[in-house]
Parts: sequence; C-alpha cells; structure tokens
Amino acid sequence: MTPACYLQTTDLCRHYERGHRVVKALDNVTISIARGEFVGIVGSSGSGKTTLLNLLAGLDTPTSGVVDLDGVPLSSMSRRQLAAYRAAKVGMVFQSFNLIAHYTALQNVETAFYFTGTQPVERRRLAAEMLERLGLADRATHRPSDLSGGEQQRVAVARAIVKKPELLFADEPTGNLDLENAGQIASLLTMLHGEGLTIIMVTHNLELAGQRTQRIIRMQYGRLDRGDHSDARADARPDAREGAIP
Amino acid sequence: MTGRDLFVISTGNLLRMKLRTFLTTSGVLIAIAAFVAMLSFAAGNQKYVEEEYLRFGLFTTIQVSPRGGSEGADSSRGPRLDRAALDRLAAIPGVNLVYPYEAFTVRVKLGDTVLASKAQALPATALRTRFFATLTSGRPFGSDSSRQILVSDELMKKAGRPDSVLGLRAVVSVRVSTPDSGLAHVLMNRGESIIDRLRRIRTDSLGNRGYRSRTIRSEIHAAMQRFMEGFLQAQETLTDTLTVCGVYHVNRSGRLRTEEMVIPLVTAARFNNAGMSGSPSEMMASLSSGSPFGESRDASGKTFSLVTISFDPGVLSTTIRDSVEALGFRAFSFAAQFEQIQRFFLAFDMAIGVIGLIALVTASLGIVNTMVMSITERRKEIGVLRALGANDLDIRALFIVESGAIGLLGTSLGIFCGWALTRIVSMVARGYMKGQGLPEIELFALPVWLILIALGIGIGVSVLAGIYPAGRAARVDPVEALRNE
Repeated sequence: MTPACYLQTTDLCRHYERGHRVVKALDNVTISIARGEFVGIVGSSGSGKTTLLNLLAGLDTPTSGVVDLDGVPLSSMSRRQLAAYRAAKVGMVFQSFNLIAHYTALQNVETAFYFTGTQPVERRRLAAEMLERLGLADRATHRPSDLSGGEQQRVAVARAIVKKPELLFADEPTGNLDLENAGQIASLLTMLHGEGLTIIMVTHNLELAGQRTQRIIRMQYGRLDRGDHSDARADARPDAREGAIP
Repeated sequence: MTGRDLFVISTGNLLRMKLRTFLTTSGVLIAIAAFVAMLSFAAGNQKYVEEEYLRFGLFTTIQVSPRGGSEGADSSRGPRLDRAALDRLAAIPGVNLVYPYEAFTVRVKLGDTVLASKAQALPATALRTRFFATLTSGRPFGSDSSRQILVSDELMKKAGRPDSVLGLRAVVSVRVSTPDSGLAHVLMNRGESIIDRLRRIRTDSLGNRGYRSRTIRSEIHAAMQRFMEGFLQAQETLTDTLTVCGVYHVNRSGRLRTEEMVIPLVTAARFNNAGMSGSPSEMMASLSSGSPFGESRDASGKTFSLVTISFDPGVLSTTIRDSVEALGFRAFSFAAQFEQIQRFFLAFDMAIGVIGLIALVTASLGIVNTMVMSITERRKEIGVLRALGANDLDIRALFIVESGAIGLLGTSLGIFCGWALTRIVSMVARGYMKGQGLPEIELFALPVWLILIALGIGIGVSVLAGIYPAGRAARVDPVEALRNE
C-alpha cells in the first residue's frame, strides 16, 4: 500500500449462494483510495457497486480478499470494532434516504451521535447547527413525510457528516431526486470534499460522476471494467481519471 | 448508546404503537393484578395471625395438660397436674407466671337481670399478661382476694346493660353438691327419717337368714338411692356479692379462652372448692379425677385439666416446652403452632406464586409476539442504526429495554389494579362482617416485599421474553435491511 493510500481492497470477492448456484456479486476487485479523494463508482445495475460500498463500510463481510483501512484489515476487526469504526469514521448516504420516519429532522440527525458517546445537549446543538448549515433550520421539527425528496436527502447528508467522519459513502445519493435537487446534493458533496472529506460515491449518473469526482471506478458484472470509455471521458471533468488505480 | 437514549427510543416506539402496547401491557397487567391480589390475601391473613399472636402474647405462652388425658390426672401415665405441679412449673427458669384454667357454672344477678353464665378464676397477676390486658373499661382487680369481678362485653349485652356497669353489684351464686346434702337425704327424705325406716323392720324376723339378707340389701340400696338423690338434687347454694370493676372483650383465640366473668382466684375458691358442681361436664370431671369429695375441698389436692405458663420474651419457647415435658406433662407451644402456620402460608404463597407465574408466562408470549412484529416492521431502522455504528449489544438492548418497559408499565399498573381490587373486596367483606356482627378483619395486606417481588417477577419475565426477539434483531443483516425495495 502506497503512503497516500487510505482505503484499499485486494482481490475482494463477495459471493452469494442461491440454491446450487453461486452469484459472484464482487469478483477479485482491487482498488486503492487516497485520503481526501472523491471517487465515483459507476456501473450498470447488478455490477456490484453497492456490494463494494457495503464491504468498504464494514457492513458486509467479504467471501475472500481484504479491505485495508489505513493499513488495518477490516477482517481482523470484531463485529464490535467494525461497529465502532462505522460510528467514528464512516458516514453513509442512501438513495432512498433511510430516515427514521417517526423522528423529526433534528432527531434523525441526532441519531448519528447515538454511538459516539456525545452528550445529549452537545449532540442536539451540533445537529441543529448542521441543519442550519444545510439550510434546513426551519425544517428541524418536521418529520420526513413533511419534507421534499431534496430536503430529506439533505437531512440524510446532515446525519452522515454531522459527526465529522473521515469517510463518506454515498449510494446513489441523487437517484431519487429531480435535476434541481440532484444538483444541490452534488454541490453539497463537492463542498464537503473541498473541506477534506474522503468521499466514495456510487452512481448511475456518469455525468454527475464525471463532473464532481476526481476519479471514476467502472464496474461490470462484479469486476472492474477496464474497457474503452471515450464517451464517458469526454463527459467527465478534465482532471477526472477513469478506471481503477491498480 | 446511553440508558437515556434506550429509554427514549423504547418508550417512543411503545407510544407510537398505542393499541398494540395497550393489549400487550394488559396481559402483564392482568397477570400481575391477579398475582398481587392473591398474595395480598395470603399476606393479609398472615399479618392478622401474627398480630393476634403478638397482641395476646402467645409467643411467650405455653399450655400444659396432664399426659394421661385432658381431664384430671392419671397416675399410671403421668404425674398429677395439681398445686405441687404448679410450683414445679413455676420453678422452671424463665417462667414468670403459672395459672390453671378453672371455670365453673354460676348464676349471676346484674341489676334486675339473672343470667346463667360461666366464670373463670384468675390470679391478679394473670390480668397483667397481654391476653387478659384488653379491658375496654374500668381496671383489673387489685388482688387475688379482692371482692371484685370483671365481666365481658357479651355478658353486659345479655344483661341488657351494654354500658355503665362499673361499680354495679353482681350477685354470684353457685349450686354445689356436697356429701352433706346426700347424707342429710339418707337421714331424712320426704318426711320420713331413717328412724321411721328402721322401725318398719321386723326385729323378730331378723333371725331368719333370708329375711335378714333381703332387709340389709334393701336398706343399703334405699340408702344409696337417697344419698344420690340428695347429692344431685338437694344442692347447696353458695352466694357472694361482688363489685364489677372492669369490662373486657371476650377473646376467642383457639386454645386460650376467657369466660364471661373473671373472679379473683382466692375469692373464687369458695365456689370452686365447695363441692361438686351441678354441671354434668364439671361433675364428670370431678368424678374422673378420682377425688370427687374429699380432695376437692382441699385446695392442695385439686387437679387441673389445663395450666397456662407465661414466660420471659428472651427465653426460647422450645426450652420451656422441653422443661415442661421433662416434668412429665404435655406442653402446647403457641410459638410452635405459629411456625406451622407460617409453613402453611409459605406453601400457600408458593402455590399462588406458581399460578401467577403461569399467567405471567402466558402474558410474556404476547410480549414476544409484539417484539417479533416490531422487528419485522423496523428492519430498516435496525439497518440504519447499524450503518450509524450500532453494535449487537446496542440492538439487543433496544429491544430488551422495550420489552422491559412493557413489563414495568404492566407491572406497575398491575400492582395498582391488584391493590384496588383488594380494597374493593375488603370493603365488601368488611360490610358483610359488620352485617353479621362479626369483628371486622382486614383480609388483605400489601407489604413492601410483595410490591418488590411483583416488580421483580413482572419486569424479569418481560425482560426474559425480550431476549429471543432481541437476539433476532441483532441478527438482522444491515445490507438486506437497507436494500432498496
């Protein structure tokens, strides 16, 4: 692992057994992500993007291969240590927001602190500040059902970043949003990256990935796609790189 | 996750699912209410018995009876329970009072009312024991030879003087059979004296052996018949006038009993030792004692069917009982009886506890069902919490606290409802007792230990019921839970 490398996978595999058939959701994937990098993972449905994201977040366990975080393999961690890793270092944003329906926006953001040992008064203050920063101060007492899709996703982003994680995993963060809201979320992610956050974003939207991320990792059928993607490269920003870093 | 967070999340979820929470909690509530009400009944009765034992000083009381039988003494099977035996009993270390149970049938005239009643002779010291220290008015007599009398509230009611009898003169009379009255009947009966009978004997025929034999048998038979007639029918009446000094409430406490009147020991001796009572039971007692005439007049030879011993609280009742039995008497310890009662209540409590536990286990199945349904509905929430850093313990704790909260709520309300139920039943029961003229007894008690046990069992069983669902919740795969529909 190079000194700049923060998160790395080596021959990562995730296979599922469906009856007598083995589904290779992820097959020998080796990637490396530097600290502070904004990486886009793109690919068609079923290409293994979300599986890779779950493995990087420690939510899933690989069939074989290794995920190293700052030189420490996640496989060496107990379930309790993995939970602590997620609580301390990981923020996650989902396509369907995954807000807790019966909590207010403020309470949803506060849940990020449930497992960090932050005092209730402090976490309420931080959550309120974060909502204010994302322009949702007047929505703090609203429940998710009273918020628009864009607002719900901003609350989800607020929940993901309020505890100041080192890594932000975003799984199709704009997938359920219209263009305007998608743009707002994309801008928000860019801004967070500008503040030094390492972001790994899974998306179908090649244009979004090309414009916002520093590097794109393409996946197909559970493997890294190293084919010719001239169209995508043309759509991407000039500094965006294509394919995986070996 | 802090305890406060767990509590807030759990109660929040319970409040959100109001109907389900209500139904699940109701199961626990009913089980605990029944459990509390039943145990409360046992505790109430236990408390009543204990209070009665304390009130009457029964823990420091032993009753002694002859080993041969309940009446008198049987020298072939045990020593006589007489005055000498009382002295030996009084000499046992720790014994502070020994007195016999001496009761006799009397007629008493209170004001204008004459009543047949039963009196009891007691030493003045006995009145200082807790059993007799329950005067409702007045004061106990001062000495054993005092010419005063204590009367019961029941006797006052019979006399139609429910109050203001203190200072009233009570004319007490006893009819006794004595050998004198029998002998007088032999000498003179229905105007015919023994001389008249002797005159009827034909002296000239006494030389005839057959006539002589018939005459002797006939005269002896007639003399015996006259003696018994005189003894049984021509009873002597002894009368004494005493002053009512106090009124007491009659105790009906098992083996210990008080009669309707209490007369000082020495004052009562006149009635008690005068002769054989006309009462069939007392007469049988006198006859079975083996000394119906001679020794009954002699106080030192009198035997007793029952003697009560009062001893110091610091002395073990078993020590006194062993000493009494070593003297050859039968001893009945109230403390030992109380231990048996305690054992009965323990078994009763356990039986009720098992029934309550069965009801609670049934209710806990409702909690399991509610929790399992909750997991199904909250899979996504579990996944989100996992993504945010919840470990297995956090997820388990979330569901265990939730089932524990159901238990706490159900148990608290159950204890209250159980208590309320006992109050209602107690009120009805007291009303019935009052209507029947019975003393009002509190049938229920809710001691702190019962509340703590109910809380412990209610919450404990609820938490146990939450363990399985909590384990299932901890095994929820976050990847599956967060997967887009």
